[in-house]
Amino acid sequence: MTTVPISSTDQSSSFLAKLWSPRNRYYFIAFLFILPALINFSIFRYLPIFAAARASLWQYSLLGGYRDFIGLQHYQFMMEDIYFWKSMKVTALFVLMKVPIQVLLSLMFAVLLQKETRSSAVVRSAIFTPVVTSVVVVSIIWAMMYHSQLGLINSVLSAFGIPRQVFLSDADRALPAMTAMMIWKDLGFSMIIIMAGLKGIPVVYREAAIVDGAKPWQIMRYITLPLLQRVLMFVVVTQTIFSFQNFVPVYVMTKGGPMDSTKVIVYYIYQYGFLFQDMGYASAMSVVTLLVLLVVSMIQMRLFRTDVEY
Amino acid sequence: METVNTSTGVLGERSPSQTLKKLGLWLGENFLYLIIIVIFVAPLVWMVLGSLREEKEIFANLYPFTIHTFLPIQWTLDTYLDMFGISEIGIMYGLHFHRFMANSLFVSVAVVSCSLVFNTMGAYFFARLDFPFKNFLLIFVVATMLIPFQATIVPLYIVVSKLGMRDSFWGLIIPWFASPFVIFALAQFIKEIPKELDEAATIDGASLWGILWNVILPNAIPGIITMALLEFQFIWNLFYWPLIVINSPDLQMIQVAIANQTTQTQIFWGRTFAGSTLASLPVIIVFLALQKWYIQGVATTGLKG
Repeated sequence: MTTVPISSTDQSSSFLAKLWSPRNRYYFIAFLFILPALINFSIFRYLPIFAAARASLWQYSLLGGYRDFIGLQHYQFMMEDIYFWKSMKVTALFVLMKVPIQVLLSLMFAVLLQKETRSSAVVRSAIFTPVVTSVVVVSIIWAMMYHSQLGLINSVLSAFGIPRQVFLSDADRALPAMTAMMIWKDLGFSMIIIMAGLKGIPVVYREAAIVDGAKPWQIMRYITLPLLQRVLMFVVVTQTIFSFQNFVPVYVMTKGGPMDSTKVIVYYIYQYGFLFQDMGYASAMSVVTLLVLLVVSMIQMRLFRTDVEY
Repeated sequence: METVNTSTGVLGERSPSQTLKKLGLWLGENFLYLIIIVIFVAPLVWMVLGSLREEKEIFANLYPFTIHTFLPIQWTLDTYLDMFGISEIGIMYGLHFHRFMANSLFVSVAVVSCSLVFNTMGAYFFARLDFPFKNFLLIFVVATMLIPFQATIVPLYIVVSKLGMRDSFWGLIIPWFASPFVIFALAQFIKEIPKELDEAATIDGASLWGILWNVILPNAIPGIITMALLEFQFIWNLFYWPLIVINSPDLQMIQVAIANQTTQTQIFWGRTFAGSTLASLPVIIVFLALQKWYIQGVATTGLKG
């Protein structure tokens, strides 16, 4: 700000007075504005990471506190823990099924519904309604819909003459069923962001292409998609981070079953930390999950990097 | 309807086959719209309507699939009386859902209030104020967005327990009083306010607090309301954190209460429908009423955050 007064006349000032100069006084007051947020982030976002790193090196439980220093033994154990690897695999499978389908569908819906007509506005609100509904409620209702005896989905299928299907209690179908539900829930969120991205593309590019005789798919391929790359990157990275931490549906619908086919990593950490009371090992797994997510986001950002400016 | 009307006229004459094609396109489009709406809304309609009928009726009408699979034959509020512990069944099962709703409402309002104060201050700092290490602080705040919350909940729990905030509303409120996403979205709103306004106020001798209160705040109201909505929804829908932080049943928030209720007694579909409706409908109604701001908020936090 240009209005900060600068004192240069006061020659006799001691060190203390200099420290309390009008400029520094301004900085001090300015700092007070951001201080509460900094305190919050230090204690509740950064400190936990250090606490996790520390707890992962000890035998640690909430009731017993710190016991023996065991170094990297938790990490060693993790490498040999087949359930840890299984849960990482389930998590990766969930993300790899959910994110591409969701992004593709939301891109399609965003293009389909970007018209400013009343009917498309109604469809947009319909798609967005599950986004504001809590995951818990969505999971509960879908668990009832997937119910093998009384579920709504089986009821609808029966109207088409299809026999009753088993969804959540089948080890091969439980994860895809959960994925379908989460795509249904999160689709509106990514659609809205992509739509805002579409609006941000200057119309002149598209108009110029139409004048040059470009077909709709050509416009999509050579103009819209490249200019949307940054928005798509944002959606892919954030959706990967969100989906990687999937927990509530597993807790509500399957408790990780059947046969661990839906036991994602965050649920496995929850089991160790709060059901088996082993905070040390749970912390070690949290640290590894954090690192995996950081690396994955880094790679994605690199892959999607673009120099296109508009 | 609109698509047909707007596209005629410009070229004047139109052959019948073209009109037919347009009509077909219009029908096809609206049929597609209808299917999309049904897919996205049907589960929630099933939930709300299911809570307004006797439980026997739900089961009796599931097979075969008819209109009454959704639509109640006899409308009743009995399941809600059960959930609030007013009816005999409700008293028998010791249900008191109003308690959990009040808890969630209290925590959400508390978080939104604190968060608006501190995040607006932070946003003002980043949007307008001068500070030597501002870029460093910016990175410090941005980086917190990359920390996965659910994956690091065990260590967060360790920290909060050490601070003695476990099993209390403090533990539910304090960790959320500042949010990097809200700070950034609000900073975007504030940057759009003309700088001349605060310069004029500075010349008039206003302090930084005075400028924030008298100049920035009145002009940032739309942004602040949008962020309040998003934050309210976030806290009201919180599940994992209250699940582990709260042990006392009386302090529990509604999402955990409904999940526990359901997993323990999966057979009571009527009550599950009613509980789910209570846990989700307030936010859905607020969303539908203030939709425009809401979507704007998601787009801002998404694109610029």
